[in-house]
Amino acid sequence: MSSAPTLRAANPRPRGRSPRNRITIAVVGVVLVVLVVSSVLDYVYLDTIPGRTALFGLLTVALAALGTYIGVRVVERNPADRQRHVIRAVVLLGLAVLLWLLTIDLFAFTGSAGPTVAAICAAACLPTTAFGLFVIRRLDRNEKEPWRLVLVAFAWGAIVATSLVIWGESLWGAVAERVLVPGPGLDTSIAFSAGLLEEVAKGIAVVLLFLVMRNEFDDVVDGIVYGAAVGIGFNFMESIAYMTHLYAIFSPEGVGGYAAGFQWYSRQVLGLFFGHATYTALIGAGVGIARQLPSRRQKVLAISSGFLIAIAAHFSWDAWVQFFPIETSDLGLVEIHLRTLIMTGPFTAAVVALLLSGLVFEGRALAEQIRKESAQGGGAILPTDVSILTSPWQRLAQRMRALRKGGVRAYFAQGRLQTAQLDLAMERWHRERQEIDEPLEAELELRSHVLELRRQAAL
Amino acid sequence: MRAAPYDPVRPLYRALLVFDIVAILILAIGLGEFLYFERPGQATGFKATIVGVYQYDQTTHKTSGPDRSTFTGTQDFAAVVDWGSLPPNLPVDARWYDPFGTIVGRTGPGTPAQLSNQTTIPVGAPAPFNRNLPGRYILVIERLEGGVPVEVLARRLVLVEG
Repeated sequence: MSSAPTLRAANPRPRGRSPRNRITIAVVGVVLVVLVVSSVLDYVYLDTIPGRTALFGLLTVALAALGTYIGVRVVERNPADRQRHVIRAVVLLGLAVLLWLLTIDLFAFTGSAGPTVAAICAAACLPTTAFGLFVIRRLDRNEKEPWRLVLVAFAWGAIVATSLVIWGESLWGAVAERVLVPGPGLDTSIAFSAGLLEEVAKGIAVVLLFLVMRNEFDDVVDGIVYGAAVGIGFNFMESIAYMTHLYAIFSPEGVGGYAAGFQWYSRQVLGLFFGHATYTALIGAGVGIARQLPSRRQKVLAISSGFLIAIAAHFSWDAWVQFFPIETSDLGLVEIHLRTLIMTGPFTAAVVALLLSGLVFEGRALAEQIRKESAQGGGAILPTDVSILTSPWQRLAQRMRALRKGGVRAYFAQGRLQTAQLDLAMERWHRERQEIDEPLEAELELRSHVLELRRQAAL
Repeated sequence: MRAAPYDPVRPLYRALLVFDIVAILILAIGLGEFLYFERPGQATGFKATIVGVYQYDQTTHKTSGPDRSTFTGTQDFAAVVDWGSLPPNLPVDARWYDPFGTIVGRTGPGTPAQLSNQTTIPVGAPAPFNRNLPGRYILVIERLEGGVPVEVLARRLVLVEG
């Protein structure tokens, strides 16, 4: 005998905070407290340039936090308010990015490299970084993540994670320099600090997205996309910092431009996907796999594993890169590529293997749910939609047909319909796997939403 | 009895655990490397004496002026060490590290008795540069064991401004 499922109301939403929200609030609270305390301590006790940067960076962190909060609330608000909140979030995040650039510029490098050099470095890194974000978002061929969340992940990596590590690495470096024997021991210690602190600072973003945006965090593929976006953000800011710093050091010798250019190539071309993007994607993979595991013990183990692998990957590069010295002859050009391939390649290959497996798994599951929804009737997914929705190329072809027939508006209307249909299939998949905590009405609402979008697309 | 349905997440989870073992191995090797170069229980209690860091003349090989902690890139500088504060048969050396961790000045290895006439340790700009790169320089006097530095007997930080 089967009993009807107990339906909880979708609107109004259940009152009170879920355990997930409490964890989120606790994590955010700890991050902010650590930032404030460490920045002040850094400034008071170290009085270094990074210390001052961290202190003035607090305003940036506050703006980023507020922008993130509003950005996340966008999905909870009614459509009439949505655009207003999107604009607010984008403006705040934009201000935070600009302020952070300004902070780095003013307090770290302006004295030697100058604002023009910093602006040129930032401008040089923008196209490659944008390309990186575009590629990693497109990797999720079954159901692309919303740009706003990808950009939030990027902003965290660029602003919050870099602010978090500046204090930690400054303190670690200052203590290690005064206590350890210079040479391989000290280098190994610094490599541990970079692996541990930078990966934890970046990984917190992925964990928060997992906790806050469960609807947009479906599986290992999503985890890899968000993780890589955080890594690309971190890499963006780190590239600018290294380029300007080395320019300042080497410009008196007349090779400042060469030093900055070399950094740009190694970090924004060679290391765009191989470095931070790979490391944080490994954390994302762990969190994404945890999303679909049944027991809490397995979830914790998967998330811990992701962090551990990322820390080890990052550590191995920082600690052992010296064992692959680069010659100053033409052979050095080959060696620098081989070094990246040999040292980071295996970890990138691991990410790619997890990504491909995840894509196949996700694709099959979505196809099955699309077929089931179509067979159920109701009009949200028609039998003729099945073959289109299960193929990214056919989806594109359908949008192009809409473009030719009704112009740009029709193209986007068709795109929104496809996205909503895929969201519905994803919702069904999670419900079938019993990994969803939303009321069934949410699925019914989604179905109604699809029907409304279909009506709009038809118009 | 019915077998549990196949869940495609399981292979992903298992793959993650396999990568995890590799990660633990990497970190264990790193820890081993750290402990090899930073051996515990090496403190002898000996302290070397760094008399000071002074401006240095490359042609006369002499130091001049007061003890300083800050120099410009075009100023040559050198440390003066008093080896007499150490036991005469202790294997030691002295090294200058630049901000990139490159050794840019060195005396030894040898015993304080052998190094007694090498009390001035200058910093040389790394090739192909003709001035010191800006940043923090570290002078360390180290005790060696089997050719590996195991203990810092004295340390001095110097800032070279850009």
